[in-house]
Amino acid sequence: MTARVATNESILVVGGGISGMTAALEAAECGRQVILAEKTPTLGGRTALLYRYFPKMCHPVCGLEINLRRLKANRNLRILTMAEVVRIEGARGDYTATLRIAPRYVNENCTACGACAEAVASTIPNPYNYGLDRMKAAYLPHAMAYPQRYVLDPSIAGTEEGQQARAACRYGAIDLDMKEETIALKVGAVVWATGWKPYDAAKIQPYGYGRYANVITSVEFERLADPRGPTGGAILRPSDGKPAKNVAFIQCAGSRDENHLRHCSRICCMASLKQTQYLREAYGEDARSTIYYIDIRAIDRFEDFYQKVQHDATVRFVKSKVARIAEDEKTRNPILHGVDTEGYHHYATSHDLVVLAIGMEPEVTGAQVPAEVIEDSSGFIEGAADGGIVAAGVAAAPLDVNRAVQSATAASLRAIAVVHRAAATENA
Amino acid sequence: MSAQVPERYRNDFLREVEERVEEGRWVKMCMQCGVCAGSCPFGPHWEHSPQKIFMMIRAGKRAEVLGSDSMWMCTSCYNCIVRCPRKLPITHIMHGLANYAHRLGLAPKGQPTREFARLFWDNCIKQGRANELKLTLGLYFKDGLAAGIKTALAMKGIGLGMFKAKRINPMELFGGHRIKDVKGLHAIIAKAREIEDRRKGYTS
Amino acid sequence: MADMKTAAYVCSGCGIGDRIDAKQLERIAQKEGKMQLVRGHEFLCSAEGVALIREDIAKEGVTHVAIAACSRRAKTDAFAFEGVAITRANLREGVIWSQPDTEDARELTQDMADDYVRMACAELKRMKVPAGNPDRGTSKRILVVGGGLSGMTAALAAAGAGYDVVIVEKQAALGGRAAQWHRRIPYRNPYDAPVETGIAELVAAAGAHPRIKVHVNATLAQTKGAPGRFSVSVCVEGGDMVTEEVGAIVQATGFTPYDIARLPELGGGTNPNVVDQAGLERLALEAAAKGEPIRRPSDGGEVKRVVFLQCAGQRDDSGAHLPYCSGHCCLTSIKQAMYFKDASPSIDTVVMYTDLRTPGLGEDFYRAGQARGILFTKGRASSVTADGALCKVAFRDLILDEDAAIDADLVVLATGMVANSGVNIDIPEEERQKMEVKPVSVLNLAYRQGPDMPQLKYGFTDSHFICFPYETRRTGIYAAGPVRRPMDMAQAAEDATGAALKAIQAVENAGLGRAAHPRVGDLSFPTARLEGCTQCKRCTVECPFGAIDEDEKRYPLFNESRCRRCGTCMGACPVRVISFENYSVDTVGNQIKAIDMPDEFSEKPRILVLACENDAYPALDMAAMSGAMYSAFVRVIPVRCLGSVNTIWITDALNGGWDGVMLMGCKKGDDYQCHFVKGSEMAAYRMSKTDDTLKQMGLETERVATYEVAITDVARVSQLINEYVAKIQEIGMSPMKGFA
Repeated sequence: MTARVATNESILVVGGGISGMTAALEAAECGRQVILAEKTPTLGGRTALLYRYFPKMCHPVCGLEINLRRLKANRNLRILTMAEVVRIEGARGDYTATLRIAPRYVNENCTACGACAEAVASTIPNPYNYGLDRMKAAYLPHAMAYPQRYVLDPSIAGTEEGQQARAACRYGAIDLDMKEETIALKVGAVVWATGWKPYDAAKIQPYGYGRYANVITSVEFERLADPRGPTGGAILRPSDGKPAKNVAFIQCAGSRDENHLRHCSRICCMASLKQTQYLREAYGEDARSTIYYIDIRAIDRFEDFYQKVQHDATVRFVKSKVARIAEDEKTRNPILHGVDTEGYHHYATSHDLVVLAIGMEPEVTGAQVPAEVIEDSSGFIEGAADGGIVAAGVAAAPLDVNRAVQSATAASLRAIAVVHRAAATENA
Repeated sequence: MSAQVPERYRNDFLREVEERVEEGRWVKMCMQCGVCAGSCPFGPHWEHSPQKIFMMIRAGKRAEVLGSDSMWMCTSCYNCIVRCPRKLPITHIMHGLANYAHRLGLAPKGQPTREFARLFWDNCIKQGRANELKLTLGLYFKDGLAAGIKTALAMKGIGLGMFKAKRINPMELFGGHRIKDVKGLHAIIAKAREIEDRRKGYTS
Repeated sequence: MADMKTAAYVCSGCGIGDRIDAKQLERIAQKEGKMQLVRGHEFLCSAEGVALIREDIAKEGVTHVAIAACSRRAKTDAFAFEGVAITRANLREGVIWSQPDTEDARELTQDMADDYVRMACAELKRMKVPAGNPDRGTSKRILVVGGGLSGMTAALAAAGAGYDVVIVEKQAALGGRAAQWHRRIPYRNPYDAPVETGIAELVAAAGAHPRIKVHVNATLAQTKGAPGRFSVSVCVEGGDMVTEEVGAIVQATGFTPYDIARLPELGGGTNPNVVDQAGLERLALEAAAKGEPIRRPSDGGEVKRVVFLQCAGQRDDSGAHLPYCSGHCCLTSIKQAMYFKDASPSIDTVVMYTDLRTPGLGEDFYRAGQARGILFTKGRASSVTADGALCKVAFRDLILDEDAAIDADLVVLATGMVANSGVNIDIPEEERQKMEVKPVSVLNLAYRQGPDMPQLKYGFTDSHFICFPYETRRTGIYAAGPVRRPMDMAQAAEDATGAALKAIQAVENAGLGRAAHPRVGDLSFPTARLEGCTQCKRCTVECPFGAIDEDEKRYPLFNESRCRRCGTCMGACPVRVISFENYSVDTVGNQIKAIDMPDEFSEKPRILVLACENDAYPALDMAAMSGAMYSAFVRVIPVRCLGSVNTIWITDALNGGWDGVMLMGCKKGDDYQCHFVKGSEMAAYRMSKTDDTLKQMGLETERVATYEVAITDVARVSQLINEYVAKIQEIGMSPMKGFA
């Protein structure tokens, strides 16, 4: 176990998505010492995998670029990737956090030149496209990845291919002997910002996700629309690669449902409204979007966006929770069955593609946090009772990006107050 | 409409349903998503889906709800219960409503499911066992002799098959077998009814 | 920085040396670039390479470093040297990765690399090491305007982190609107019942905190200065003036409920038994004080039925009322219906909505409301009329698809929140004077651009950016709570804590003389040679952050710690007197002049690309990373913002024989993506004025083109370049070559 220099005036931020980056940067820019631990090989989290934001239709990676620039310029911030927090002991003002760091098999010599990827033939499912395509087993997660450093998948580390990758690297950056490492850090406060994951759509049995090729989730749809995604931004059906022009968006796929997630995931209505505009952008007047919903939750000034989409002739709204989906064997079109509750009309509607507006669940629930924390009925985290561990962003509640960042900024000050008091006690 | 207005959208009927209908207390939990309506295999044949019935209860449409034939068409497939995001025991509520309407004498006259149910009940209670042959024939002839003969003839192949497979005993037509203590059963049922009436506040 | 010593380092790693003659680059740096020290290295970002540079800085006294290697976005950890000026020539992403690896392409690839080295050297020589702005305010106190939930939360949060706070509250006591509330929506698990507001405790805590000073019955008469040195005149009780010196400001001035008198069709303002949500809270408080149930306002009669009409005067697209949703009202109505249900389950409560909006764990509260017997009806009310003491609500039942009516003892209209944001500075002063109700300023800023914070939409002073909710156009002043955006108490408390952090950051940055977001840590700042200034006021008008005032002689007066270092003023200045130490008309102008311009007959056009460093430049980098090729005739210069592009660069380029100029900036318009607000728009506007200049020079107007490029336009950006180059080739080479 290696001890790193950190004191009870340092803040540990767990999770390197937009909330974690924000919490870390805000504290560091206030002059505090921060350690940011991210489990995957890159910062950026799930927002880096979104094509656009509602309601401005701007690009999440634009904000990521700014945050990365802030981070590159800041000396108060230390970043650990592939690092998972496995234990937190102590109390507010005085914690010892244990982190397990997985081997990357690539050291800081890496220039991201890409020679190792060229030397490797094996591929693995690409998690940055939600598994819609595959990538080389020696990879840079994505073009915005930070640290801008390749990763060798463990599946090839001990193989001939691993050796080939090493041989291809001119800079001695590939280290096949890297081992898992465990480190202990002393910190005064912890910001827990581990974010969310999409609910497992296959559990919503009547919708046929996993059985029908043309039923996908909203996060996958983001990748289809993104020029950096598996189709180069073309919105195509998985079954036959044909343009998906007539698309159904099913709201509350997993959310607001006692059988799945009890809470409302807040973002899904706006996400679907936004995605109808991807379709319009791709296919113009030929686009056909249908939103099946219970309540459209376009909260506060997002209402504008809803009104704008309502005026879009290519978009139709049906107040109905879809009962089930069948598949037309010949066309592989999903056929949606249900009842429009406004006036009670049965429908059996065929679409090219179905997008499930999938619910958010905590990536790490309160019960899974390796410390004593308070959680709510859905596993979202409030924090430690003594306030020394504070949750931020979607780890704390289902939030949109804007509110997650707001939450992270607030969490950052709460953590600062903890270490401020810890320092005051120490100096007293 | 004005005469009706004070009645409408008051909780009176909802309260009545909560108090007197099996699982009626769940009605208020419906969020009108409509998944039950779409999940019902009989959906297209109903006048009112469960979700709509629930809304009508809240709206105080007592006569329309209790006079509806929709509840009678439920086949207890449980699709709605499985999919209901609020976990409402919809099947049970529908049966509860049917039962309640029947008890009040407000259920639609001549509704076949209801007729069958009554026939089945009477048949079953009489001797403490279901007499399938009598039940079948009772059902065939409920609309008169000619109709009964016609149906019976149409079904004769099945009847013979069942006879050969010893699924039907023609002797059952004459009395048929019964439980040992029919009187006791009748007493149990009378007591159960009394308890239910008291609990749910039925006066008749 | 009297002794300037320049050094250039040429890396030949990552294949640069295979594709380009790196030795030639070194020669160029030495001979043409006049670098005093030139070194080549085959792996410059290695520990050894970096140590080499560090040693030169320490031992050779190198003050200016040009690194010819990868993009300025790569290997930032390695190439971070404090106290020296640094420039990067992008040979990897910008040259070898964007050009085909063929023998045919070799010459043009080398030309490109040669020019980038020339440009880097030219830029470096004009750069100075930024020393931080001299306008360093030392006050670390934080002023909180408004003593409601948001204000008190912000004050306590800042005080808890060790900062002194002054609260200015207009009313006679702290507490704000929430002090008039009976209970609040639950904000933590379990979400099943209304909870105490906690306002009394907050008031007590704020009042007792040794770091918090409170002025009640007080308003701001004038706010002048800048982050770190705001001087605020507070008008206190009795009309006396007190001056408070503060470093940053949190504006938490809350909201006013939308006037229900504007909803006469729903009985608002005419029927005493029709109240808004605030009115119901009042009734609940009064009733609780007496220990009695809530009574019918008109006659004190018993309340048996209550109807809540959601979205009253909200979500209105007719233009008559508020177009937005206030976010909290569905939950508030559920809470208020619970007041009745908890008092007596026999009271009927109906919530009439079109979309029930109970996000997140609010869904638990919705369920709890249903379980209490609150009735939810999807419907749209058309009228509320009085029938004796009863109210008749006529509505369309959207589920049962019919017109219906309902009678009630009490009707609660869920009206929206109107932000208390002061004066809308986008409305000209003369027009404001003509308004029926003259808006009253909250901050009374003594700023050239107006007395209050710029509003985003519908009167809210929100940030325009999804990723940066605390982005402000008045550096050091942060809006929090419902003045920023409609929100409930839980969110307001969260928001106020976040705003307090930003205020703390602002005072810390101001103390160090460095920029605030998004160029955090930037120590450069704008300076003006006033002797050349023509007092045209463009800089003071166009600064997106209101950083520049005018002195009594109408010269620009820079408030550096309000400045965000975008350079819009520099781009605006027609006489080019504004510059930053490391980013100026000269640093860019020199690069434009530094390239080796081929002659008219060479068939090698030269296209200047001025690319926004936040979006277009990364897109170009990523295009190269993804293997997209673009023309070797372009030379890209990253700019802080397109708003900083001075037209002199364009005319210099064209006079110097460049064949075309492409400007790449962010999306403009209502949904603008420029993080300096108007940079892209300003550039487009300024470029639209260059047509005449071009015609006078006898040049085609196509030689200057402006593009909106998003950071995701990875494939598109190379296409744009190639199409533009093709167009220029069609038009032909510039006739201006060889005259400069």
